[in-house]
Amino acid sequence: MEKRTYPALAEEIVWHTLPNGLPIAVIPRPGFTKKMAYFVTDYGAIHTSFTLDGEAYTAPAGVAHFLEHKMFDLPGRDVMAEFAAMGANPNAFTSYDLTAYYFSCTDNFEDCLKLLLQYVSTPYFTKESVDKEQGIIGQEIGMYADNPESRVWEELAKGMYEKHPICVPILGSKESIAKITPEILHACHKAFYRPGNMLLCVVGDVDPEKVCEIAKEILPETDTCQVQRVQSWPEEMTCPQPLVEKQMEVAMPMFQLGFKCEAPEKGEEAVLWETVGDLAAEALFGESSPLYLKLYEQGLIDSSFGGGFETVDGMAMLVASGDSDDPKAVQKAILQQAQTLAQEGLPEEDFLRMKRSAMGRRLKGLDSFDSVAFRVCAYYFSGFDYFRFPEIYQKVQPSHLQEFIKRVVTAQRSCLAVIYPKEA
Amino acid sequence: MVQTISILPGITLRCFQDNRFKQSCLTVQFVRPMCREEAAKNALLPAVLLRGCEGAPDLRSITLKLDDLYGAAIGPLVRRVGDYQSTGLHCSFVADKYALEGDKILEPMVDFLGKLLFAPVLEEGAFRKDYVNNEKKNLIATIEAEKNDKRAYAAAELLRRMCSEDSYGIPRLGTVSNVKAISAKSLYDHYCRVLKESRVDIFYVGSMDAQAVAAMTEKLFADKERCYVNLPEQTAFASPAGGEQQQVMDVAQGKLSMGFETDITLRSPQFVQMQVCNMVFGGGMTSKLFMQVREKNSLCYDIGSAYYGSKGILTVGAGIDCAKKDEVQEHILTQLEACKKGDVTDEELNAAKQALICSLQGVHDSAAGIENYYATGALSGQTMTPQQHSQAIEDVTKEQVQEMAKTLKLHTVFFLRGEG
Repeated sequence: MEKRTYPALAEEIVWHTLPNGLPIAVIPRPGFTKKMAYFVTDYGAIHTSFTLDGEAYTAPAGVAHFLEHKMFDLPGRDVMAEFAAMGANPNAFTSYDLTAYYFSCTDNFEDCLKLLLQYVSTPYFTKESVDKEQGIIGQEIGMYADNPESRVWEELAKGMYEKHPICVPILGSKESIAKITPEILHACHKAFYRPGNMLLCVVGDVDPEKVCEIAKEILPETDTCQVQRVQSWPEEMTCPQPLVEKQMEVAMPMFQLGFKCEAPEKGEEAVLWETVGDLAAEALFGESSPLYLKLYEQGLIDSSFGGGFETVDGMAMLVASGDSDDPKAVQKAILQQAQTLAQEGLPEEDFLRMKRSAMGRRLKGLDSFDSVAFRVCAYYFSGFDYFRFPEIYQKVQPSHLQEFIKRVVTAQRSCLAVIYPKEA
Repeated sequence: MVQTISILPGITLRCFQDNRFKQSCLTVQFVRPMCREEAAKNALLPAVLLRGCEGAPDLRSITLKLDDLYGAAIGPLVRRVGDYQSTGLHCSFVADKYALEGDKILEPMVDFLGKLLFAPVLEEGAFRKDYVNNEKKNLIATIEAEKNDKRAYAAAELLRRMCSEDSYGIPRLGTVSNVKAISAKSLYDHYCRVLKESRVDIFYVGSMDAQAVAAMTEKLFADKERCYVNLPEQTAFASPAGGEQQQVMDVAQGKLSMGFETDITLRSPQFVQMQVCNMVFGGGMTSKLFMQVREKNSLCYDIGSAYYGSKGILTVGAGIDCAKKDEVQEHILTQLEACKKGDVTDEELNAAKQALICSLQGVHDSAAGIENYYATGALSGQTMTPQQHSQAIEDVTKEQVQEMAKTLKLHTVFFLRGEG
């Protein structure tokens, strides 16, 4: 076991890797009653093509999310009821590039942890249960279809990308999930729910040795299968459709404006660029930027406006989104301001203030168990230790931001997706 | 523990001293009786105050000030608790010990909060017209955007239709026409009245001790002319039954909302029994509604119930296939009948209790959780600590759940359905 400390944040993490390859991170929270465990696999909606022990697979869209729903079935047991009896709140989510299973509890932590590890490591899929799930997920797809926020994001992704599977919804479609079978679920589980492809992260006042002991007891002793992901999604830096316009039952036009970026690699360098991307968004149109004030005073944006840098395995983009009567005017203003910043750069004083503010906000986020567990996991799969973020902020220079804005925030790289209110 | 300090008549500071958190939280709420004439003004007021004050006359100078305070945040706070509506500001900021070179954060934060609350930018004896007009437009957009989220819209629409003659039917942010009628002068006059007459609840969570916080906040009110007016008592739900109502929208999925009334409110001795009853019926992933309607019959993805203890209302919401409305409604009523017959297993009862207890035990684990629990409790009159509340839940029996279910009467059904 290795304990790493981060004095500036008053944080520490105890790391350990089991013989089967599973990394475990325990983040102590002395004096808190809540305890939380995240069991996460480095596998999400975009990882549909792979080879397992020499055999090639292409799974239907939506399979990772479908698998997430089906993992809660254990033969002869009711996972939800068992968690509920222990007073725990279990849940799970699937993103483009990872799937997370987690619970929070105050009592019975060890038994809850055992149950989490058991159900996520036990594949159990029958024809009947798969059929039934197609009905439930069909309704979930219907719910998102009526949700303008998710629709505008999906339209943006389709407008910007041709090859990267981010242009396919995480849930898939009613048609694609109809093709899911117990066999394909088994193959995906075997390929991606191996200990070496996962991470167990615990936050709370718990004994790290006990956590490792339980994981060792429940999980398979070895990890032997051979898996290769098929992921090559070469993209031009221009967008196939620079403007996407749709109509829905919304009150006011809702937009997302994206700027395509080169896909980041893994590790510290990637995190540096992500931080640069975030700060560039802040400098360009964040709440303390001159542009934000101007657009707000003109009534072109309201407090729903915001943005940042989004990365998914194999892609990255800068996004601004919100409600506006005139999204095209917002796009034009951002492009103009980007040209100004690209030429003149950012005053040193503004840059330092922005960094201090961003650091403070990250620090506040450390009070949230969910946010800490999720970020430690997500950054681990990106090859970075999350609690080192203060060092990254020290490395960022104003010239980084200027160079980034000059390269990325251009008309050629941009796509505007808008959902307009239905015409009466 | 919460320390309560009376600063002036009608002005109360509550402090929860705790040094486990990296962020601290400070809220100031002016408490008003919920009424149609005021709702929109109370909702608009904090947004206008956040546009500028002495020393920080526009949005950008406010944000720069907050950036200097290590990414502190100040936002509007508009709560509805029973017949009361609060209007005020909410601040979160990192604890002093994380600031560089001994910088202080709490004290300048309180000063700044005071400026925003008491020294707004004025012109001709009123708020600035452009600020007011801008924020009116934003508030109207927020009110209209409610329909973007169909689940929230259907839930709110049910309450509006169910409570046509109760304050609970008044939209928390007012209506579009209420907002349109506000002028810079009428809002300013309202603001002066709010400062003078309202009960003020201040809440702090952080590492500083209560007396120090009291000294800082006391200064804010020291020279203010006050004439405190007592609030009316909270009342129980009363409104004529609404029957079956529907609305058509261009949606793929229908939203079924059902409203039930009960005499049991959080002022009743049986309050926690009703909380447990709600959990057994539809309050979570082990509830009857979730297990039977979703898991067993695959009729929906999203289903659940909510109990509004300050009023004595229980609602059920489900996202469903529009063609299956009657079938789902039937299933929901069957599950309620089961509760009324006492058809509740030990597992269901235990799971319901554990879920409530677990969330109560987590209250003390975040600054926002602490503020929300105690500040809302101060408005509703619910004074149990999370510990006491958990104990009361522990003691609830199956028979009590059955008795509570029997008090529920279907009052109004609202169905948001697709065309065709």
